[in-house]
Amino acid sequence: MITFSKVTKQFSRVRAVNELSFTVNQGEIFALLGPNGAGKTTSLRMLLQLINPDEGAIRYSESLLTEGKLERTRIGYLPEERGIYQDTPILKTLVYLASLRGMPTSDARKSAMEWLERFEIADRAADKVSTLSKGNQQKIQFIASIMHGPEFAILDEPFSGFDPINQEVISDMIRGLREQGTTILLSAHQMLLVERIADRLLLLSDGRELMSGTMLELRRKMGDGQKLEVQFSALTSPSLLVESSLLDAREDTATGMWQVLPRPGVPLNDALQVLTQAGRIETLRTAQANLHDIFIQSFGTTNGGNHAS
Amino acid sequence: MHRNIFDITKNVTVWEFNRFFKWMDLVKGLLFFGFFGLIGGVVGSWAGSQASKAPVVAVTHYGPFSSGDFTEGFIRFTDATLLPADSTQIFYAEGRFDAVLEIHDVNTASIRVNSDRAWLIQLEQKLNELRVSYKLDELGLELQVYDDLTAQVNLERLFDSGEVSSVVDKVLAGGAIALLLMAVFMGFAYQFTAITAEKQQRITEQVLSAISPQTWIDGKILGITGVGLAYVAFYGAIGIFAMLALSYVGVPVHQTLALVNPVFVLTFLLMALLGILMWNAFLAGVAATIDDPNTSAKSGLMVAPMFPVMLAFLALVNPDTLAMKILGIFPITSYAVLPARMVLTSVAWWEPVVALILLAATAWFLRVMAGRIFAAGMMMYGKEPDWREMLRWMVKGTDGETN
Repeated sequence: MITFSKVTKQFSRVRAVNELSFTVNQGEIFALLGPNGAGKTTSLRMLLQLINPDEGAIRYSESLLTEGKLERTRIGYLPEERGIYQDTPILKTLVYLASLRGMPTSDARKSAMEWLERFEIADRAADKVSTLSKGNQQKIQFIASIMHGPEFAILDEPFSGFDPINQEVISDMIRGLREQGTTILLSAHQMLLVERIADRLLLLSDGRELMSGTMLELRRKMGDGQKLEVQFSALTSPSLLVESSLLDAREDTATGMWQVLPRPGVPLNDALQVLTQAGRIETLRTAQANLHDIFIQSFGTTNGGNHAS
Repeated sequence: MHRNIFDITKNVTVWEFNRFFKWMDLVKGLLFFGFFGLIGGVVGSWAGSQASKAPVVAVTHYGPFSSGDFTEGFIRFTDATLLPADSTQIFYAEGRFDAVLEIHDVNTASIRVNSDRAWLIQLEQKLNELRVSYKLDELGLELQVYDDLTAQVNLERLFDSGEVSSVVDKVLAGGAIALLLMAVFMGFAYQFTAITAEKQQRITEQVLSAISPQTWIDGKILGITGVGLAYVAFYGAIGIFAMLALSYVGVPVHQTLALVNPVFVLTFLLMALLGILMWNAFLAGVAATIDDPNTSAKSGLMVAPMFPVMLAFLALVNPDTLAMKILGIFPITSYAVLPARMVLTSVAWWEPVVALILLAATAWFLRVMAGRIFAAGMMMYGKEPDWREMLRWMVKGTDGETN
């Protein structure tokens, strides 16, 4: 549905996106992940033609074009920078925003009320947006981005600002959209949620692709997808863990447990040998590496998570 | 889903218009003025009724005049020449007399009164008339001779243009300029509020993902111009209604009403529409580059529309100078100067035509330039573009798509 081909974008001395290529297929949920400043939002803005790439090309499927131009009525967008008219009634605001995407007023009113009911805030339809809590304002923004039934929805940080319960609600709604045929490109930091709903993922670092694929493919790329959780009774040489080329290890400071991921192709025996040399093992159990582990392992924790590009 | 550029522009226009045009505010404003007008009227009529009560002036000495000279009129004179002085003072203290008058001779008199009163002017006039009459008798002159001596030269003013700008003309021209000033400053306030708030509230990205910057700014310009014109029409209609009401009760305002002819109204409305559109385009472009109105150095640009209105007020003084003729056609100033000139003097038929064409072309040009600045400026947070950058946007367009 969307193809990025060697897209590059430079802002003065900063290369925000660097020869990035990927494809979002029709009907899938595609997740764009990366630390702050990795180039996610810039990529999404280029996709929406809010800014133009310096090099490379972005191609859209025919269904998103009218006479060769991007048909914005078929796209939904939830920006990372949230904002909505504060002093106008909720329903009126939603109808206006939908009308900008070509939705007739009567249809927009009906759709807005259905979504408000789904979020259990239909009774507030006549209230001003400013009277809602921050979380409910986020819901209004979410509704505004998808209520016109887009073929392709771009959701930049759709879970931010929501409590865990509402994150689950939003997660279900995103899956529901996919079931109705909407292709979704999302960017988020809630790894557990993304892992559950995304069909394919792309990890961005400094504007470049670090790795991409399904969750299963990512696990394979990170080794055999196995994670070792180790408790040392005595850790004599922690530097062996941190500096080893055979594995990635980090200590969970809250539990004192070490999370260890063997590097791709490294036999488990070799990894265990490093662990036994580092100290005396008290407990050891295996688990499947999740997206959070892959993310942490890929981007590390040594620079405060800031891989500014 | 079907949409076209006109539908979207109309939607934005209606949205912006409804954001700022509040019927209830107009009604409240009218009620406010009506309420205070009513209070003013009641207080005024009460004060008038108090003032219309004829004051009682006791005359203790007539000087060279007689009591027969002081007949009943607006002031009631009471002969107190026979009253003892202390009785006169008691009656004055009790309020039975409003004042005590003593005429010393034909040139001097004194009056004792609680404080300054409006009717003292009428008393002074009365004493002057008596003095003139006394002096004419003394000199043996006829009243006709006196009138002849005091008559003033009648200077007939002949203007080469054949036009005489009366006070009535100037009132109407001033009113028209004031209405334009109101509309432009509303545009200033609303564009500034709308655009800087949208930037600060981060609404921009969501809207620009749906429509082009040019469509958005077009809708904004039209909507906010609509608000300005609605207020101009509302207050203009009230002004005409007030003049009709004054005419009905006998106030001579028919000359002013006669000037409000269809040609003037049409030209005024067209000039006002194009002028306000032009300045709203300019203001929208400037507002899009302002990140924080409290600290921006560009905020000062927002008062630029004041300049032509100032010049229009100069036209009230002398509308026929070459400078005013040029400014009446020059597109930046014509919307304010030409309507004023049309009221104050005669203008050639081609002047409004050329002025309208130039104004429309300039409004269109500024709209396109403002659209280019708007496209880049609205997506710029944290820093403001410098003049060179803005010029580059105007000349080359922007990074953003403007389809």
